[in-house]
Amino acid sequence: MGRKPKKNDSLPGSLDMLILRTLSLRDLHGYGIVQFIQQSSGNELLIEEGSMYPALQRLELNGWIDGVWGVTSNNRRARIYKITAAGRKQLAVETRQYAKLTLAIAHVMGME
Amino acid sequence: MESARRSEALREEMELHLAEKAAELQAGGMTAERARAEARRRFGNVTLKHEESREIWMTRFLSELGQDIRYGCRTMTANKAFSALAVLSLALGIGANTAIYSFMESILLRSLPVADPESLVVLNWQSRPPQNASKQWEHVVHGIQGVFWPGDKGVLVSGIFPYGAFETLREENPVFSTVFGYFNGHNRTVAVRGQAVSASTEFVTGEYFRGLAVSPAAGRLIESEDDRPGAAPVAVISFAASQNRFGGPPSAIGQSILVDNVPFTVIGVAPPEFFGVDPAAAPDLYLPLHTNVLVSSAGAARMFGDANFYWIEMMGRLRPGVSRAQAQAALAPRFHQWVGATATTDGERAKLPALILNPGAAGLGSLRREYSKPLFVLLAMVGLILAITCANIANLLLARAAARRREMAVRLSLGAGRFRVVRQLLTESVMLASLGGAFGVLFAIWGVRSLTVLFSKGQENFTLHAELNWQVLGVTAALSVVCGLLFGLVPAIQSTRTDVIPALKSGRGAGSRHRTQHVLLVAQIAMSFLILVAAGLFVQTLNKLHSVQLGYARENVLLFSLNARQAGHRDPEIATFYTDLRKRFEAIPGVSSASLSHSSIINAGHAGKTFRGTMKIGSVTIDGARVLMAGPRFLTTMQIPILAGREIDDRDQPGSTPVAVISERLARTYFGNENPVGRRITFLEDKRDLEIVGVSADLRTGGLKQDSPMTVFAAASQTSPEGMTYALRTAGDPLRYVRNVREIVREADASIPVTNVVTQAAEIDRTINREITFANLCTGFGVLALLTACVGLYGTMSYTVARQFSEMGIRMALGAQRGAVIWMVLRRVLLLATVGLAISVPVALGASRFVKSFLFGTQPNDPGTLALAGAILLSAAILAGYAPARRASRIDPLVALRHE
Repeated sequence: MGRKPKKNDSLPGSLDMLILRTLSLRDLHGYGIVQFIQQSSGNELLIEEGSMYPALQRLELNGWIDGVWGVTSNNRRARIYKITAAGRKQLAVETRQYAKLTLAIAHVMGME
Repeated sequence: MESARRSEALREEMELHLAEKAAELQAGGMTAERARAEARRRFGNVTLKHEESREIWMTRFLSELGQDIRYGCRTMTANKAFSALAVLSLALGIGANTAIYSFMESILLRSLPVADPESLVVLNWQSRPPQNASKQWEHVVHGIQGVFWPGDKGVLVSGIFPYGAFETLREENPVFSTVFGYFNGHNRTVAVRGQAVSASTEFVTGEYFRGLAVSPAAGRLIESEDDRPGAAPVAVISFAASQNRFGGPPSAIGQSILVDNVPFTVIGVAPPEFFGVDPAAAPDLYLPLHTNVLVSSAGAARMFGDANFYWIEMMGRLRPGVSRAQAQAALAPRFHQWVGATATTDGERAKLPALILNPGAAGLGSLRREYSKPLFVLLAMVGLILAITCANIANLLLARAAARRREMAVRLSLGAGRFRVVRQLLTESVMLASLGGAFGVLFAIWGVRSLTVLFSKGQENFTLHAELNWQVLGVTAALSVVCGLLFGLVPAIQSTRTDVIPALKSGRGAGSRHRTQHVLLVAQIAMSFLILVAAGLFVQTLNKLHSVQLGYARENVLLFSLNARQAGHRDPEIATFYTDLRKRFEAIPGVSSASLSHSSIINAGHAGKTFRGTMKIGSVTIDGARVLMAGPRFLTTMQIPILAGREIDDRDQPGSTPVAVISERLARTYFGNENPVGRRITFLEDKRDLEIVGVSADLRTGGLKQDSPMTVFAAASQTSPEGMTYALRTAGDPLRYVRNVREIVREADASIPVTNVVTQAAEIDRTINREITFANLCTGFGVLALLTACVGLYGTMSYTVARQFSEMGIRMALGAQRGAVIWMVLRRVLLLATVGLAISVPVALGASRFVKSFLFGTQPNDPGTLALAGAILLSAAILAGYAPARRASRIDPLVALRHE
């Protein structure tokens, strides 16, 4: 079971950021988001797929994304999520923080 | 609901996810089964994820609620005066509703405290009106002991039956598991260890306790063997009586007691919560039906055999699976056949009683019949008051919303959802209402107590006990929340509809809020008017009742009752006993005269042994006269003028010529201008001729609402008296003499209890207790409604004036007179009040018909009352508007102009 995905403990909140980033590019349903993240990370980021759903709920409650019932590319009923204006602001904030954080870690690790 | 919907959506999303993943894996070459398992493995624990999501919603909801509540607390403490006023007025409104509702619950909704009350049914019958074409009574009912009540369209309804009907319905009953009978034994003199008191009794058949499925608190209950002619006389006592008289249930068992001087053995004690089958009565003593023969006078034995004498009441317990309709269908023909055989003439056969079964879960309906309509009227009034309160608070909240406009605008512009802000405002108003409800419960406890006192003034042993049980408290809680939502919703929606930009710039408020405030004010005024009209009608009714010419003295008369027959006194000695007592009472210093009669004047015809036979003068039948068995000096004691001849006095002994005194109307009706003194009046049933010895002035016997009926006073000593009501004419407060009276009675015979000690004034007021209660309560309600409406008016006008501060300033600067400014504000107040009245007058005219049966000497659409209520309302409105108007007129133009 070497492939057992680990929780993203090292970077708390990064899942939210990844979802927001994904949705800022296009509207997607849950499975589509997972697929997009995995493909665009070159299959390096293996998120526990189930964890995404509580995350989506949280983001929606915060008013950062909006889910509406729609139809997927292969014609199945699904909740399609889109990012809201508040969500874009939040994404900007988190992107900045993330950039600061990775830069700081890179400094510590002597990689800069 | 919301969360269920969300939960379902989430489940669907997750399933779709798993299906898509599996499809992808399958496309990559996995078998369908493995693909599904792998998809599931990668997803993680579905249930856990679902739970986590739910937790996210809940935490969010709770934290927001917590925020809202904290915020609400802050707002409430920041506006202490407003919050206190709102909570207080809500407490009054909700408390009043709770109090009235708890009475309704106890009267209309509560079941008997017995096992499976739902399967109990009450047996009644109904028949066409008993009078024939010539207004004569022609009906199988020849005699009764009990009551009839009117049904729809003049039909006669009753719950009393001949004993034979009970026996017929009891045998081989396919629909009832038990049929049991009972009848009210009224008050008896019960002596325990030589101590005599008056106690209420119920005669019950042997099946009574088995049918009700009651188990004893001690000993055993009455069984079929106890209820036979010749069985040893036994008694079951109530739990309360066992505590009061014996010091607890166990020590009562086996004790010997005297009921009307007949020895009984106590065999058992009823459970504490048990009060029989009639919520209007709580018997102290349950006796087997057949012992009625022992304790009541000779006529009682005849009651069992007489198929035309109606007296026993019945209930039945349905067998499992049998409906009330089925039972009625099964028993009605049987009763019809039985009762048909008791009819003797065609007229009687034409209107035989028909059996009807009524629900018995709540016991007998006497309380329901008596109180349900008054309580509905009161509930409507307190409902209106609560509505006024809600409108008032909504109005104040609207005014306050103006002050919070900037706050709302800030929150909305910072991205707060409108729903979120509305929810927060609603939380605040529900908090206010809940606080109001909590204090309202305290108020209701007090209210229930005072209402019980008010209602119970009419009765000696009042059994109506309302209480704040869980059901009532639940309704109160629901009511509070509904109120909070009601008065909170409109202001909340209005305040979030603010156009953000001008509000932030501190511009003028929205015009629609203004309109809403005016609508609410008009509604308040309209509702207050309704309550004022009701109060006016009830007060007027009471005034009319109080100004009724009694024809006898109301003040300075002491009344009390005693029953020597129940203590073992018999004819002819009993007449002498009563006469001697009268002389001794008359000898009390301060008592100018004493007399006695078989009942108080006001209750003549309703209480005591009543004379129902036919009276004739010569061959002419007297129609509609009341008979009062009176002792010597009765007219003197009651200050009834003697117009001719003499009154009944000590000369009229058991052996001497039977005499009577008649009232003026009777004399005029049947003797015209002739002098009736010396003529005779015949009591047909008693086969007695009475010589008329005097004529009295007219007097109102038997209630204030009837016209002065014709009255015949017959000498009490010449009849065979039962209980007697003594009347003492006293100097000063009549109740001061009670101690002397009790002393004298104890000396004469210690086994006779003195009962129903009351002043004549109080005895009369008892008969109009409902009118007094209504007048008092509704006056209170009217004042409350008026105050609330005035506070609303004052608040709104103050706010309007503040809002138009600069406008007023400009007007003043341009030379407007103070008077003109005052008038400008007052005109608006008057306009609102007039619109309110215009809406309310037709409603009042329509609604007052519903209280017609509560009125006396007053028409429901009494123009005087309407005008007075309108005038009061208008003056109150002007008063409430004057202060803000004055303030407007004092505005300094300079300050006002700089203000902008």
